[in-house]
Amino acid sequence: MDVTVEQVGSAAVVRISGSVDGLTADALQTALQAQIDGGGARLVGDLSGVEYTSSAGLRALLATLKLARQKGGDLRLAAVRPAVLRVLELSGFTTILKLYPDVDAAVASFGS
Amino acid sequence: MKRRVALVIGAGSVKCAAALGLWRALERHGIELDMVVGCSGGSLYAAVMALGYDVDTCERLTRDLWTKEVTKERNTRGILAAIFPRLLGFDGRFGMVHDRAMGKALAGPFGGRTFAEATIPLHIVATDLETGQRVVLSEGSVFDAVRASVAIPYVWRPWEVNGRWLMDGCMSDPLPVDVAMQEGADVILAMGFESPFPRRVKSATRYAFQVNSIYTNNLLRANFAFHNLAHHTEIITVLPEFDRQIGLFSTDQIPYVIEQGERATEEQIPYLKRLLEGAPA
Repeated sequence: MDVTVEQVGSAAVVRISGSVDGLTADALQTALQAQIDGGGARLVGDLSGVEYTSSAGLRALLATLKLARQKGGDLRLAAVRPAVLRVLELSGFTTILKLYPDVDAAVASFGS
Repeated sequence: MKRRVALVIGAGSVKCAAALGLWRALERHGIELDMVVGCSGGSLYAAVMALGYDVDTCERLTRDLWTKEVTKERNTRGILAAIFPRLLGFDGRFGMVHDRAMGKALAGPFGGRTFAEATIPLHIVATDLETGQRVVLSEGSVFDAVRASVAIPYVWRPWEVNGRWLMDGCMSDPLPVDVAMQEGADVILAMGFESPFPRRVKSATRYAFQVNSIYTNNLLRANFAFHNLAHHTEIITVLPEFDRQIGLFSTDQIPYVIEQGERATEEQIPYLKRLLEGAPA
């Protein structure tokens, strides 16, 4: 799994690629938490490169979501692939997370 | 320390046959299971795996069992008793479909078989009609456990097991990952399905299927969210993709369903192997 972060407008776009699972979720959570601790609580997770997420990945996403919202921001997901979307739907995550078709829409949702 | 691997097969009618494809993939890669948990339609496959039937036999058994014949015969007396409860004596346990065909179909693979004969520890989930509680059956008659677990509300009568009237496990726990967690599983392969809706609601039976699917699917999502967050290691969700509608009795699609189950499992095998080889979860 690879994670890169880029500031776009008022949000930090976190581009994730590969599988978010028990072998990689800790690294993802650490990277996202560092971003929030550094003052960037408005996060857009670009999941266009994520092929799969397991329970460990879901836990990392939820922990990040809670932390971002506690800091006045949010974690919003963009370009979620169908296989990952099915896991998010089955586990109820689509009812608590905001999803957007692409990164631009997710960034724009934060406003200026 | 060796990680304990569980397979959990949730409700999902004929789609549950995808578990046979999963099983085939695990066998091919030499991955052994430490327990199997099943609910509703998934209990059929959990049970046949645990009892040692081979995949081809299971496919044949599925074709024999999952036919429209099992819902064809109406439970006329039960229906009349529901309409005229005082006159005919409604006993509080109702099913529109007669038990006969279901009993005959289940007797083939499960008649006289017990949990003690299982080569892999087996747990089957049902729901207590009186209390609504999840009931985990792990000993005694496999036939009784499966019959109880598949007792779809309003369609088949609840089934008595050890003095309790039990019904479909999907009423309390459609994808019983929590049972595997309680039994000490580390890595859990969860194959679950949202219950299908009938193509057309053209009978009371179909209406019952429709209503059941609505609340079962909502319960599935709520439970599964909690289980994913609560488990200490890993739940690997195996979700076969179907490019066509798989109806309640689409038995002609069984080979395709099995193939898709195998394909979805193959995608997870590399990660599963790395986990089991000792990489930290």
